[in-house]
Amino acid sequence: MSSRVPAVSVLVAALLVAAVLCPVVFIVQMSFRTGHDAFRMPPTLVFSPTLHNYVDLVEGKFVRSLANSAVTATSTTVLALVLGVPAAYTFSRARVRATGLLSLWTLSTRMAPAIAFGIPFFLIYKDLGLIDTRVGLVVIYLTFNLSLVIWMMRAFFDGVPRSLEEAAYIDGAGVVRAFLRIAVPLSAPGLATTAIFTFLLSWNDFFYSLLLTRSEAVTAPVAIVNFMNYESWEWGKVAAAATMIMLPVVALSIVVRKYLVRGLTAGALKG
Amino acid sequence: MLASSAKRPFILSILQRIVTTTDAVLAQPAASPARASWSRARRRMFAAFVVPAVGVLVVVTVLPLLYLVVTSLTPLDLTDPASRRWTGLANYRQLAGDARFWNSVWVQGQLSFWTVSLQLVIGFAIALLLNGPMRALELMRSAFIVPMVMPPVVVALIWKILFTPDISILDWTLGLLGLPQPAWLADPRLALWAIIVADVWEWFPFVMLMLLAALQMLPAEPLEAARLDGASRWQVFRHITLPLLKPAIVVATLFRLIDSVKAFPHIFIMTGGGPGTATEVTNFYAYLQGFSYTYIGYSSAVIVVMLIATLLMSVMLLYATGREVEVE
Repeated sequence: MSSRVPAVSVLVAALLVAAVLCPVVFIVQMSFRTGHDAFRMPPTLVFSPTLHNYVDLVEGKFVRSLANSAVTATSTTVLALVLGVPAAYTFSRARVRATGLLSLWTLSTRMAPAIAFGIPFFLIYKDLGLIDTRVGLVVIYLTFNLSLVIWMMRAFFDGVPRSLEEAAYIDGAGVVRAFLRIAVPLSAPGLATTAIFTFLLSWNDFFYSLLLTRSEAVTAPVAIVNFMNYESWEWGKVAAAATMIMLPVVALSIVVRKYLVRGLTAGALKG
Repeated sequence: MLASSAKRPFILSILQRIVTTTDAVLAQPAASPARASWSRARRRMFAAFVVPAVGVLVVVTVLPLLYLVVTSLTPLDLTDPASRRWTGLANYRQLAGDARFWNSVWVQGQLSFWTVSLQLVIGFAIALLLNGPMRALELMRSAFIVPMVMPPVVVALIWKILFTPDISILDWTLGLLGLPQPAWLADPRLALWAIIVADVWEWFPFVMLMLLAALQMLPAEPLEAARLDGASRWQVFRHITLPLLKPAIVVATLFRLIDSVKAFPHIFIMTGGGPGTATEVTNFYAYLQGFSYTYIGYSSAVIVVMLIATLLMSVMLLYATGREVEVE
């Protein structure tokens, strides 16, 4: 391939980056302005930033929704890893690989519209009293997280050489020890990537939280929408809340950038 | 196509794999009694590793979907406890004559067509632009993925603000240029375009990333050979690069196509399906039927039809990926 990149291309690309990121910059700067100032036309480039919107949020109920988001996303990640990682190891090491079935399963749970799980879970939760609970959210997030963990971790385990584990077997170690002491530590980067992925997917969820929570367990993405409805025109607060839920996600995704395609196409492509 | 001998049908290949693995396991010689008991223990441990995960997966995915199908065969209404009864295919018959359902399919068709085509064109163009071994370009790749990883709610909120007259900088800029300043989200002809713009912005990076990965794995020899033979840049692109990228393009298209059917937060936040039913896609229509009008039974039938459509697309995707597509 051509090894030289023309300066024009770099310039065009830089301009495009600026254009694409404009809406993001727009909402972030808006969060540091007072409501009135944010919409003054013509827009002012220079303004005295204020933390007013953030202070409002921290003093209000939004912190609780943020906590709900963090708790449910973390719990479902831990649960999906505890259940999924040993299974992934088995699919990587045992003779029965069941790749086709696993692939179809992962893909179809990823492809199904959320409402396909939303309706039955809603009905079941109504009967079980799990509506508006964080437990309910943690469980429904497993519908997409668990097969994702199995799919991604199997690919990572495939990349860990077996010879080390075989040496451990000869030394009398069982499967559990070979798994915990050798395979898991060696695939630590994969583990971290997978954990970040499941965390992000759960953190970004809007639909399930909209459907299955009311007030107690509301997560941040749904809480923002409620600002819009009941405290109308508090756009500064909306912008501040949006910035708060967006920043951790953007930071984490850049960490796992290399694996984004793999995660987002789980089930269809070999890692 | 299904019967082509070069590519085995997917189900058959699963069956074949099960048969050959069973053979392999049964034929494995037990070298010594000690080794045999060790490998038995190992197999038992593997079973203990897999059973919980598969059990939970069945409970959280298979059972709910069965429940969905059962619900679609009832006239279940959340406000009427007596409505848990069997009515067979009545919901599906009603669906066939439901003009609002067919309208939602048409709206979805337009949304999918425009978002997927635009994402392909823009994503591909930027992938070509960024395809080079330069540090600056790598940084830009990271910058471009931001829209795609943001919470969809935030994407929807940003574009809702940008498309709202009076408070939007977009509106102001149009006014400055002397262009019309339409009320995008309130205009039945423009509302869907507002959704399309938001969706294209959010997801073109996905196409870009997949095609960049594919571009970076192109073999160098055919490209160099063609250049040495005096082929123009366009000829190289048209006759060598494009055919080599075809599998990746097909996969990216199918992924975006399937995901475009799931558009929800944008429509919920930006337009609520309106004005009228101008942006009411099938997914959103099912949501309204089930959770605004409480007709869960009918809503389930809509979703079952959608699921069958997505399943068909997923099978197509698996066929497409059968042709050696790899990513980083």
